[in-house]
Amino acid sequence: MTTVDVPVHEAADDWTVPSLSDAEYRWRARRYRLRTVRRAAGFLSPYLVTWGVFLAIPVGWGIFLSFNRGGLIRGDPRVFVGFENWTRTVGDSELRTAVKNTGIYVVIAIVVVFALAIFLASLLNHYKKGSNFYKVALYFPLLAPPILGAIMWFFMVNFDFGILNLIKRTIIGGDGVRFLGDNPHALLTIVSVEVWRGLGFWVLFYLAGLQSVPEELQAAARIDGAGKWRRFRRITVPTLRPLLLFALVIAVIFNFQLFDSVQVLTDGGPRLGTATVVWFIHRRLFKFQDTGLAYASSIGLLIVVLVLTGLSFWLLGKRRQREA
Amino acid sequence: MAEVILRQLSKHFGSVEAVEDVTLRIPDGEFLVLLGPSGCGKSTILRLIAGLEDATAGEILIDGELINFKDPTKRNVAMVFQNYALYPHMTVYKNVAFPLETARMAKDDVAEAVQRAAEMLEIETLLKRLPEQLSGGQRQRVALARAIVRQPLVFLMDEPLSNLDAQLRLQTRLELMGLHERLGITTIYVTHDQVEAMTMGQRMAVMRDGRIQQMGQPTDVYDVPANTFVATFLGAPPMNLIAGSLVRDNGHVSFRCEGYELAIDPATAAIAPETLEEAIGEAQLGVRPEHLTLASLDDEGLPGVVRFLEPVGSDLFVSVNVNGQPVQVRMPPDTKVATGSDVRLAFDPARSHIFDADSQNLRS
Amino acid sequence: MAGDVTTDPTTLTEAPPPERDEAVAMAERLAAAGRAKRLSDRSRKILAYAILTLFVVIAIGPAFYLISPAFRDSVSLFTYPPEWIPSEPTLDNYRFLFSSTGYVRWAINTLIFAGCTTILTLVTNSMAGYAFARLRFPGRNVLFFVILATLMVPVAAVLAPTYLTVNFIGDLPIIGNWIDIDTYLGLILPSAVSPLGVFMMRQFIETLPDGLYEAARLDGAGEWRIFTKIVLPLIKPALVVLGIFVFMLTWASYLWPLVAATGNDYRVLTVGIASLKGQFVTDWGVLAAASLLTIVPVTIIFLFFQKWFVQASMAGALKQ
Ligand SMILES: Nc1ncnc2c1ncn2[C@@H]1O[C@H](COP(=O)(O)OP(=O)(O)O)[C@@H](O)[C@H]1O
Ligand SMILES: [Mg+2]
Repeated sequence: MTTVDVPVHEAADDWTVPSLSDAEYRWRARRYRLRTVRRAAGFLSPYLVTWGVFLAIPVGWGIFLSFNRGGLIRGDPRVFVGFENWTRTVGDSELRTAVKNTGIYVVIAIVVVFALAIFLASLLNHYKKGSNFYKVALYFPLLAPPILGAIMWFFMVNFDFGILNLIKRTIIGGDGVRFLGDNPHALLTIVSVEVWRGLGFWVLFYLAGLQSVPEELQAAARIDGAGKWRRFRRITVPTLRPLLLFALVIAVIFNFQLFDSVQVLTDGGPRLGTATVVWFIHRRLFKFQDTGLAYASSIGLLIVVLVLTGLSFWLLGKRRQREA
Repeated sequence: MAEVILRQLSKHFGSVEAVEDVTLRIPDGEFLVLLGPSGCGKSTILRLIAGLEDATAGEILIDGELINFKDPTKRNVAMVFQNYALYPHMTVYKNVAFPLETARMAKDDVAEAVQRAAEMLEIETLLKRLPEQLSGGQRQRVALARAIVRQPLVFLMDEPLSNLDAQLRLQTRLELMGLHERLGITTIYVTHDQVEAMTMGQRMAVMRDGRIQQMGQPTDVYDVPANTFVATFLGAPPMNLIAGSLVRDNGHVSFRCEGYELAIDPATAAIAPETLEEAIGEAQLGVRPEHLTLASLDDEGLPGVVRFLEPVGSDLFVSVNVNGQPVQVRMPPDTKVATGSDVRLAFDPARSHIFDADSQNLRS
Repeated sequence: MAGDVTTDPTTLTEAPPPERDEAVAMAERLAAAGRAKRLSDRSRKILAYAILTLFVVIAIGPAFYLISPAFRDSVSLFTYPPEWIPSEPTLDNYRFLFSSTGYVRWAINTLIFAGCTTILTLVTNSMAGYAFARLRFPGRNVLFFVILATLMVPVAAVLAPTYLTVNFIGDLPIIGNWIDIDTYLGLILPSAVSPLGVFMMRQFIETLPDGLYEAARLDGAGEWRIFTKIVLPLIKPALVVLGIFVFMLTWASYLWPLVAATGNDYRVLTVGIASLKGQFVTDWGVLAAASLLTIVPVTIIFLFFQKWFVQASMAGALKQ
């Protein structure tokens, strides 16, 4: 039976190395912590510099420019005009047409592409055999840049040799349709081209959403004898709804920027029938006419997109909360 | 060759005092075990020494040098993590060589050092494999090899055996001790397993809620636990505690509970008479199960009723109800006793402990 | 009671409990319904595949519709009834494309433009992602949020000020020789600013176990060595996905190159091909030839790496 004397705290004073004073300890601790700042700066600076110079500064500069006109080329000096640009955005008929066209385009394109995508995705979800081939093939239009997609359709809708007119003439007879030369055909053609391009992406998107529905749930519903439509409403729609809202915001953001196909197919025509907001901005800027209005509309576009971005983050956050 | 000193070390995470006012001196070459229940701050102490966490207050010294404000990359301590933390995309060879290559050692020297470490841990045949192609025990060895290959000043091990199965754990335990003997590197070994702590440590520190409860050689800590926490944390089954009070009766102090009184002789109990005087009041009597025996009703001892019998082969554990509290008694396996019978529990007062109202052992 | 029933088979057959009776009837009804439905199931299936096939034809048809015009004289396009297979196939359009347009130059420019943008993005984004995921520094969350807020800023919305910024840098001594309108860097740098990759890299690096990072520090490795030897090899899949995504987005981009590379020397394919479509007269054959030549290699690469491509496009949707 031993008893030993083991102090819980060995007396600190016995030891030879003196302690730091409180002040010195705090100072050194602070300096030590700050070393991570230097390291972080090293890792962040390549991106921060590129981002700062070529995105953050332009955003700020753009806001400033919206109160100016001119200054893009040497012969046209910049003039500060206060709120003039902003008041004129309301009255400009070309801009109003562009906004209206963009709105029409966004609504039709998204409704059509979402309806088709959900339909095709549920087909692919149900008929799994060979679905990989279909997925890959539907994705194909996304490979080509928007410009090339538009050019392909330029051939398809040609008045003389486009396949659509050939079919129309053969089956219905009569003259061909001026797909790009008449209103509202031109805008609808642009809508079709963009639907064609985006469809594959949204099919894959919704398919991923549908496949997150547990198989058992689907099977259980089938055994319950739930009809197709009921199953769609009771299971498919609720799973897709949160996805749908988020997708909608994203789709609006992207489609709002329609430009490439308009520029190559119609250049805004005929008679501004396909003029869009971005087309308007680009044209005003680089035809160097009325740049002030273009500056203000750029910022208008920026605000719309930032608000929508905020909305999408909010939706994502809400979804994540619900999942947690 | 390194002595490690922790001086009034604290680490707070917000309002959580993970480590509070810890003072320790670990002489060069010692194998120290930190023992305590999960969440008591053992890992945090290791991480503070390694530099993975910054101390809230207090100092860490290695060989007299203050290392609080030295980057972990420069501290030259090695740590074996509970989940080994092997680099999954590197072969075993690359894993073990990584610290040496980081130190820009010449290629041939690296190969030689890796070879030596691999031989020591018997993993020469695994050098070309990826971690995912290894069993748990093999990964463990690779992690150890990676730690020893660069001859660190201090070895930190955070529950390195807890992911191994029982048999492998026993074997690796012995090997770790052999390794320490051979290398003589100061080692701080964290575990919540008291068997590991008792068998491996030259000294051990028992922790609770961020504070060190007791520090000493394992057998000393076992024999004379500083407080009821240590008393019940060590030993399986733990020390029995019987609630009662210290009373003075015509000049004599004795421990009294319902149906029992034990006169305390300061000399046998190794308690200073003044201490005993001060502790008059609520108290607990502590006796380990192996120091209790079942006695007949005529004998001196705690009165109780046998409730359960647990034969485990080598011993028979008898659970006795004393004043409504279960008390464990370890008896030889061939003991004849029936549940429900009234018994007395006899013990040598020299092997009993008295804990005061603050749960501190009165023994000096 | 249920135990009694099952232990005695005779009771079961002679006097089935009422619930069983109903279950059998139900099963029979279901089976009958199933037989009746099988036919309509079959026709549904055929219809479904027919619809899917129709959409596949629409998806890939337009590309095939370029083949014939690409290999024939433009004038013969206008014959009616149409002549699907050219009677006199010719490579004249390609000859013209290579000799009289800047096609080769555009292609090289596109590779340089998209390649450098991709590499630059991968380097800067993975480094920044590492800092945001692993390093503690004051203001980290605020900075990250500010950067993330610019995730969707449209090119068009900052077109003028970006143009002016590049122009301004172009007027500076020395650096202006490298970064200006009509330089590669002037084209590349503003295309490599999107925070999407930073966000992706941060998410991915955060999923790596802390232990690896800590073990490496104790092994003496500094941040740079941990980044290059531990983190980068482990996030290779994410880098591939991000790389494909950025490359695809960049080589397809049109608006910024249209503005930033006006001369033929730095023009890229999208702008070049669009310029082949004249305002009033178009050489259809050359236009078809150029478009076809441009999409064929991408398609082949795509067919080899389709899985990665699909993942990359989903990454673009901010999949979470
Ligand atoms: N990074 C951290 N943030 C907040 N609390 C922590 C952190 N690390 C540890 N803790 C807390 O500190 C206490 C001690 O933890 P730890 O040292 O891991 O215990 P042990 O290793 O003894 O199980 C626990 O209560 C734990 O929850
Ligand atoms: Mg721990």
